[in-house]
Amino acid sequence: MSAGARERIMARVARATASRPGVPHPGALVTLPAEDAVDAFVKRFTISGGEVARADPERPPGEWLTGFLRGLEPQVMGVAVGPDVPPELRPGLPAVAAAHAGAGISMAWSAAADTGSLVLPSTGTRAVQLLPPVHVVWVPAARVFARLEDALRELEAELPAALGLHSGPSKSADIGRTVVTGVHGPGRCIAAFS
Amino acid sequence: MHTRIGDYASRSREIIRGDLGVREAVTGATIAFDQKRLQGYAEVDADAWRRWAEGVKSHTLTHLDRYLTEAEARLEANGTEVHWAADAAEAREVVMSLAARHSVKSVVKGKSMVTEEIDLNPALEAAGIEVYETDLGEYILQLLGEEPSHILGPAIHKSLQQVQQLFADHLGSEPGGDPDTLARAARRVLRDAFIQSDMGITGGNFLVAETGTVALIENEGNIRLTTSLPRVHVAVVGIEKLVPCMADLAGFLQLTARAATGQPIGCFVSLVQGPAAHPDDDGPEEVHVVLVDNGRTNVLAHEHAWEALRCLRCGACLNACPVYRQTGGHAYGYVYSGPIGSVLDPGLLGLHEAMPLPFASSLCGACEDACPVRIPIPEMLLEWRREAQEEGLTPWKERAALKALASVATRPGLYRAAGRIGSRLGATGVARALPMLGEWAAERALPTPSGRTFRELWREGIE
Repeated sequence: MSAGARERIMARVARATASRPGVPHPGALVTLPAEDAVDAFVKRFTISGGEVARADPERPPGEWLTGFLRGLEPQVMGVAVGPDVPPELRPGLPAVAAAHAGAGISMAWSAAADTGSLVLPSTGTRAVQLLPPVHVVWVPAARVFARLEDALRELEAELPAALGLHSGPSKSADIGRTVVTGVHGPGRCIAAFS
Repeated sequence: MHTRIGDYASRSREIIRGDLGVREAVTGATIAFDQKRLQGYAEVDADAWRRWAEGVKSHTLTHLDRYLTEAEARLEANGTEVHWAADAAEAREVVMSLAARHSVKSVVKGKSMVTEEIDLNPALEAAGIEVYETDLGEYILQLLGEEPSHILGPAIHKSLQQVQQLFADHLGSEPGGDPDTLARAARRVLRDAFIQSDMGITGGNFLVAETGTVALIENEGNIRLTTSLPRVHVAVVGIEKLVPCMADLAGFLQLTARAATGQPIGCFVSLVQGPAAHPDDDGPEEVHVVLVDNGRTNVLAHEHAWEALRCLRCGACLNACPVYRQTGGHAYGYVYSGPIGSVLDPGLLGLHEAMPLPFASSLCGACEDACPVRIPIPEMLLEWRREAQEEGLTPWKERAALKALASVATRPGLYRAAGRIGSRLGATGVARALPMLGEWAAERALPTPSGRTFRELWREGIE
């Protein structure tokens, strides 16, 4: 049935468009990149409800993160850490399954300043990125692109099975037009710079 | 899908006169959405963005066979199974056979208009499969047994009090809970559903031909979960959703969000290329894309209406429309409502089935000004009206009245005489007794005629 459907649809598409002149592609959408991508990212991300934390340069980043997570309300006891987070960026807290973790710790592949987006590969893993109520994402400052287009084009040749662009906390205004956070995904999304 | 478009007039009357809450809720929500869109447009060179988006979409639609072929090849190379469905029945059959193949008992769904269009939920439920709509608004409507009334905010016609009552009845939540408490109650039920379900079903905002990427935009995270946790992900995608490449997608993700809610981008975007392949990836073992026609090639073949296929389903035209604001989407009787529904439905379903939607507009043009892909909706409405007139689909009284008007207007003597009579009718009581004019006057206050015709005024010199 499926193969037959394909032929029928393609024939109908060809017939429908045969006598219509082709419209040329207009080329790239011209947007002005910000001068300082990290500054622009921080501004955009926080407007959308995301939070930004900077590791204490005097301490090892993993140790700083441990203190940061303990200081959150409610205090994070167990964490789920993505397999691609390097050892020096891992907090010294007990590892638990993502569904029960107080926080998920991820590594961003890159970030985009114009939309305030973190680019997260599916190998990160998805459960870590989505199930805990708090999501802390390490962002390498050198990997913040001025434009989303640049971040996506860089990946074009070697795309993972899936990517998530996270640009703030999970939110909804479906009940009484009041914004609530943490509806399904993390209610707090924190970009951490080491 | 069974439509109730033919009852548009009586359903509108019922909504406007019956439940004042609907009008209040819809008007409030759409005005708020519309203001956010204006802010979102003001932050960028919106005119240039919209012209660009119109160009990319028109380019893709005029080369659709090429891009469909490219997308299919790329999806398959990514390990995604591609299915084609010429109509709603075939689309349901594809999904049902996949559900049977995987012995699916429970399905989580992301908000998708095309799955509403193909009536998927009743088919799944008839097969004994549990279906969870996971978008909060959709979940509310599923509990109520209602259809979405807005593309973006499916439950905008419901008040907080109605949701409080609903959740107290169904989820045992405390009466009078605030939105936060209510959302938490829904989250508890749906979180279990995400973890237990074998299949996730979504639509697709875009399909990138060059990379075989299904792109999905949202704010809650439910679509990310739907495409990530279950073993099987099925994306049901209309054939008009294609864009050529990732650079184009980057533009459309931003423009769609700005048009819909004024955001620079949705809080979450899922870009799905295929099933999990890497040992560290915990995503689905299988990804299926169902490419659905279901009337789209009819729209594509239409000399004027084809441009409506550029639609991004952002809802901006609904929010801007003074007619939609009065009733919400339910009056329209089909899944695509508001201005875009009024031009798209005649193409998808046939003009006869979609009557009288092309007439459900004041032609004010607010929809076209709001549209991120510059669909000339008012022009299309006029074109559909012309076709309806030609095919004899307009009410006989209207046809008779227009015929009468034409015969008077083409006879100068008769026209002058009619003008003199009309200008001296005076009391609206007489007008109310007339056919056509009487129906119009029943809902409105008629202006008082001046007592003199335009020609008389002209001769005297208009002040």
